[in-house]
Amino acid sequence: MLLIKNAKILSPGTPHHGKKRDLSIDRKGRIQSIRAKLDEKRSKVLDVRGAYVSPGWMDVGVQVGDPGFEHREDLQSVAAAAAAGGFTALAPQPNTPPPIHSKSEVRYLRDGLRDSLIDLYPLGAVSQSCEGGDITEIYDMHRAGAIAFTDGQQSIQDGGLMMRALQYVKAIDGIVINAPHDESIAGRGQIHEGQMSTALGMKGLPALAEELMLQRDLYLLAYTDSRLHVANVSTAGAVALIREAKRKGLRVTASVPAMNLALTEEVLEGFDTNYKVLPPLREKSDLLALRRGIQDGTLDFVSSNHTPLEGEAKKLEFPYADFGALGLQTLFPLVNTHLGDRFKAEDWVRLLAFRPREVFGLAVPEIREKEMANLTIFSTEAEWTFEAQAIRSKSPNTPFLGQSFRGKVLGVVNKGQSVLF
Amino acid sequence: MTTSQLSTPHVLGIKYLTESDIQLIFETAESFKEVINRPIKKVPSLRDVTVANLFFEYSTRTRLSFELAEKRLSADVVNFSASSSSVKKWETLLDTVNNILSMKVDMVVMRHPAPGAPAFLSRHIDAHIINAGDGTHEHPTQALLDAFSMREKLGDLAGKKVAIMGDILHSRVALSNIFCLQKLGAQVVVCGPPTLIPKYIDRMGVGVEYNLRRALEWCDVANILRIQLERQDIKYFPSLREYAQFYGVNKQLLNSLKKEVVIMHPGPINRGVEITSDVADSDQSIILQQVENGVAIRMAILYLLAAKR
Repeated sequence: MLLIKNAKILSPGTPHHGKKRDLSIDRKGRIQSIRAKLDEKRSKVLDVRGAYVSPGWMDVGVQVGDPGFEHREDLQSVAAAAAAGGFTALAPQPNTPPPIHSKSEVRYLRDGLRDSLIDLYPLGAVSQSCEGGDITEIYDMHRAGAIAFTDGQQSIQDGGLMMRALQYVKAIDGIVINAPHDESIAGRGQIHEGQMSTALGMKGLPALAEELMLQRDLYLLAYTDSRLHVANVSTAGAVALIREAKRKGLRVTASVPAMNLALTEEVLEGFDTNYKVLPPLREKSDLLALRRGIQDGTLDFVSSNHTPLEGEAKKLEFPYADFGALGLQTLFPLVNTHLGDRFKAEDWVRLLAFRPREVFGLAVPEIREKEMANLTIFSTEAEWTFEAQAIRSKSPNTPFLGQSFRGKVLGVVNKGQSVLF
Repeated sequence: MTTSQLSTPHVLGIKYLTESDIQLIFETAESFKEVINRPIKKVPSLRDVTVANLFFEYSTRTRLSFELAEKRLSADVVNFSASSSSVKKWETLLDTVNNILSMKVDMVVMRHPAPGAPAFLSRHIDAHIINAGDGTHEHPTQALLDAFSMREKLGDLAGKKVAIMGDILHSRVALSNIFCLQKLGAQVVVCGPPTLIPKYIDRMGVGVEYNLRRALEWCDVANILRIQLERQDIKYFPSLREYAQFYGVNKQLLNSLKKEVVIMHPGPINRGVEITSDVADSDQSIILQQVENGVAIRMAILYLLAAKR
């Protein structure tokens, strides 16, 4: 029995939304009662002192090393990192060896965390081995539980493949996810092409590489009349294109990595490879456009872009280091620290609990009596410092060690289990 | 002279030096230039200091220049080059350097193909580091010797016009020269085919000119860079033949100008490509003075860093 006291309930459409309540959860994980005041004996009591309780958060597009790169991250460690970051649901990328490109891998993921408090929603590959060639058995993977189709970190280069994928998923009302990144323009770019790449003598990744391919995807979307989710939006131009496409009525949704909402290329001054990420950290004008996009709904949700890498892949000369950083545990504190003042607590619920599920047609958990508890407890005010021992991933690649944050996840509850901090 | 010490324990790039650091290096180099023209060229300043020259990328003149500078200061010198190294056995840079430092080395001179490699090293090891060229990032000693040579020829560089010609995109020399010349008050224009000029170079306060003649008409000094074929992973221009026709500096072109432009080149020269022999070997050219000054500049930097121990 768990008793959460003095929590502000954020669950739009339910009777207790917006109110300060005590909430008790029984042994099976069901919400027993929600009252202004509850006194339960023999309960574990957590007084959250005015912190918020939201339906459990979901992150789409996390890189898991399982199967194949278990030394970077396995299902257990990603579940622990997700819980610590406030998430109760994950949709992992298909880029593993072997890739998630047939029914059996989808089932492996779907069943892999059955006993954990995390709900796992697999993303199936669009092409065999995510290599951009032949299309996969999308219907079969859909039946096995894949919620959408993407080549994940591998952006779909071939326009014909993209077109056929968008057409093919229509029979199941499916969604294709693509992170636009034209490799012929991006070349061997290391960081955003701009003033910093010029000053550091580093090959640049032009905004053009993202926008050119996004244009293509939007044209293909209009042609196929299908559904597209644009992942890893990072430029002002891309936000404008998506805004315009939505205005025209195309069925497009989009998400932005947390780091791109918080930081710009300026942090790369010291060649810290932990800031070497894809999409790259861009300029102030991009950052501001992304923030506007989040606030006006052009961008539907925020993603962690969680990419665990062993230390050896990062403790290298900059061009030799791999792209990617941990993100699950720092998504909320990072964004809240940098733009919490413009956000209401309700915005977090929209961005992390509602939109990720609504986009993929998943039911959003409700905080009401007799429902199973699937919730995230968070404070937008608590201040803390991120230390190495707090990392729950198997990998160490975060640029945020030693940084102070405002905003903290206090716990998650789901499937009759809880993790409280 | 306002100071007698460098503001930094390493020379990782011109970016990280102050203007008074640069002036201090010039003044120190002047006295070393006098030393190396004496009958006995050696001084004991770096006795008992061990310097490791780590060259992870091919070099002739920079390596020789550093080695001479070190030996004239009486340092103990060890050399390492990538071809004879454990790099091919997949040892990491950090492991390689730490192994060398375990043999009690005080200073590291490093050339490396990766931008930022010396900065990376400086965060992880305890030795003074001098960047002898890191990929397409910086080559600070080259920029210092270039500016020192221009200063010898033209005096104070404030207000002087310097054009940098050629492959700007793949050039660490261009970038370091831009930083250095700007700190000394000179104006800089870069000139080359558009595919070899970084798109955002103008944001650094640098002019861009695609026409060679116009660049030459504008400048007091033309610093002509080598085409870095080894750093081009794709084709940025169709042929050396066409490049030589449109961006090669020849005597006829120089003679048609109404003034005498000082000609520089960091070497090695591709004769007949970016510069013809009659230009390289002319009185306008200070290419060999650059090489001589290189030793004095490197002696100055080694001396000043050793003083920070």
